[in-house]
Amino acid sequence: MSKIKDLFESGRIKSAFIPYFTLGDPNYNDSIEFGKTILDHGADILELGIPFSDPVADGPVIQRAVARSLKNQFSFDEIFRVTKEIHHHKKETPLVYLTYFNPIYHCGIHSFLDRAKEAGVVGLVIPDLPFDTKESETLFQELRKRDMDLIHLVTPASTKKRIEALKRTSTGFIYYVTSFGVTGERREFSVDLKERIRFLKDTIQLPICAGFGISTPEQASQISGYADGIIIGSAIQRIIEENGQDFPKAKQTLAEYIAKIRASIP
Amino acid sequence: MGKNQPGYFGEFGGRYAPEILTEALEELESTYQKLKKSKKFKKELDFYLQNYVGRPSPLTFAERLTKHWGGARIWLKREDLNHTGAHKINNAIGQALIAKFMGKKRIIAETGAGQHGLATATVGAMFGMETVVYMGAVDVQRQNLNAKKIEMLGAKILPVTAGEATLKEATSEAMRDWALNVSTTHYIVGSAIGPHPFPTIVRDLQSVIGKEARSQFKKQNHKLPHAIVACVGGGSNAIGMFHAFLKDKHVAIYGAEAGGLGPKPGEHSATLTYGKTGFLHGTKTLIIQDEGGQIVPAHSVSAGLDYPGVGPEHAFLSQTKRVDYRMVTDEQALDCFLEVSRIEGIIPALETAHAFHVARDVAKDLGKKKDLIICLSGRGDKDVTEVLRLLGERSK
Repeated sequence: MSKIKDLFESGRIKSAFIPYFTLGDPNYNDSIEFGKTILDHGADILELGIPFSDPVADGPVIQRAVARSLKNQFSFDEIFRVTKEIHHHKKETPLVYLTYFNPIYHCGIHSFLDRAKEAGVVGLVIPDLPFDTKESETLFQELRKRDMDLIHLVTPASTKKRIEALKRTSTGFIYYVTSFGVTGERREFSVDLKERIRFLKDTIQLPICAGFGISTPEQASQISGYADGIIIGSAIQRIIEENGQDFPKAKQTLAEYIAKIRASIP
Repeated sequence: MGKNQPGYFGEFGGRYAPEILTEALEELESTYQKLKKSKKFKKELDFYLQNYVGRPSPLTFAERLTKHWGGARIWLKREDLNHTGAHKINNAIGQALIAKFMGKKRIIAETGAGQHGLATATVGAMFGMETVVYMGAVDVQRQNLNAKKIEMLGAKILPVTAGEATLKEATSEAMRDWALNVSTTHYIVGSAIGPHPFPTIVRDLQSVIGKEARSQFKKQNHKLPHAIVACVGGGSNAIGMFHAFLKDKHVAIYGAEAGGLGPKPGEHSATLTYGKTGFLHGTKTLIIQDEGGQIVPAHSVSAGLDYPGVGPEHAFLSQTKRVDYRMVTDEQALDCFLEVSRIEGIIPALETAHAFHVARDVAKDLGKKKDLIICLSGRGDKDVTEVLRLLGERSK
């Protein structure tokens, strides 16, 4: 059984908290500490961003995080080293990579997956790799062989036909994009969010986790009432951005924020 | 979508866009398939191409240039004489009509040299659509005349400051806007790039260039030319010119890409020479990237060629060797810009100046009594300030 499936089926949590941050922002060693802090204060699954120079699905906050990260020399060796350290800190928490497809393809799918698994990663989210591509099929098969998950994104614009079709190559959980546009904090969500998530739950036999735009404990509390998990990226990245130069303060603020969100989720 | 399905050119192409755009891309594809077969759409498109763009554009025999270069006879397909001064208007008109048909009230575009932004702002004004143009902040500076024209036409320019602040970043930002406003907005992609069906739509709309050139040349000379040449950034004028000739195996086809300052990463935009297979802006193509799969900033003296990717059909034509793609440096392009202006009385766009450089070599190799057509993709008014600046630097 995949580690993510195990988490959702264990009954240990009602709704998962899935924080995200970009590796290498402001540097790789600080990333290790940020990862440990987030794990210590309540992440159920941790999403680690592998920076890509052209993150078309991301809003300004994550774009800036990626740009800061890439000011450091990017290397897969560093990515896997940092991931391994974070994983060893709390081995029971599943780690997932979020990245664009080009770096994975360039690294070589087999090599990337072997090294990611070795570093402790159990799943992938790739915003620019639709499920109905040859590369996604290949990736799915290779991930299965390694007992890893391919987490697909479903959006408010995804048709019923597409949702039905992606079931075949989807594992772990579904990343439900709560609103149109790119990542970033929002004040309001679409009125039919609850119905849409319920429909997805009925259609796809996988946990549905909502992301894009969630930032406050109130939003987390409300959405986790009907979603199997909530994903928060930009708000966390903003804390790193605003306090990144003051490492103790960044860690402290991050710890408080993570704890507050975790406490708001049932 | 497999590699033998529509949208692929060999292994290149496809649709690798964020899920939020899939529905819009499918709607665009099915609408376009319908419109392609519709006589009414064709008639409307032809009407605007004739009466607004000014087509057919002439095929001019360049007598002085032919004598000066002393090789093959040089012919120019005059896209510079189109309304707004470049081939970009062919695509902008076509896609605006598609947008109108889909009931979209707002159009957006990315632009490098500003010609596609200008064309989009123009059709936006003509069809009464709200228009937003994303342009790298660096390009807003170096192509200021076009930036001003775009605003004068009532469109909004949004300068993009991220990364290198050029075409690549403008394209990313336009994709983000589209993801947010996908139900009301059509994204008029300006080159033969992007997720399927854009490379096909842009190719089809630009193929008017090659179709006209082929029939004009045949009518005047009762034969086909020996060679054709066009410049390649994303590659829309080139694919438009090449497409009608691809099956004419005896017609040699050449593409000119930007060799920039030299072969080091970051100094050029020579995707077909130095690029590796990858995924950028929704398509699988050749991309200039580093060992980590990060996209390397491109450079060219010409803002319109300053892009680290290339249309997937060009990647395929390069792989199959049907087209011979050659690099031209900034200096060589600048020299040709001046040479063609003085000899032929036509100031070409800096993009086209790259094609002229390749054409000069090809003309010499072909020798006399042979014929060569250059796609004169646009006029160089927009480049005059930048050229003067560069000449100033050169004389220091």
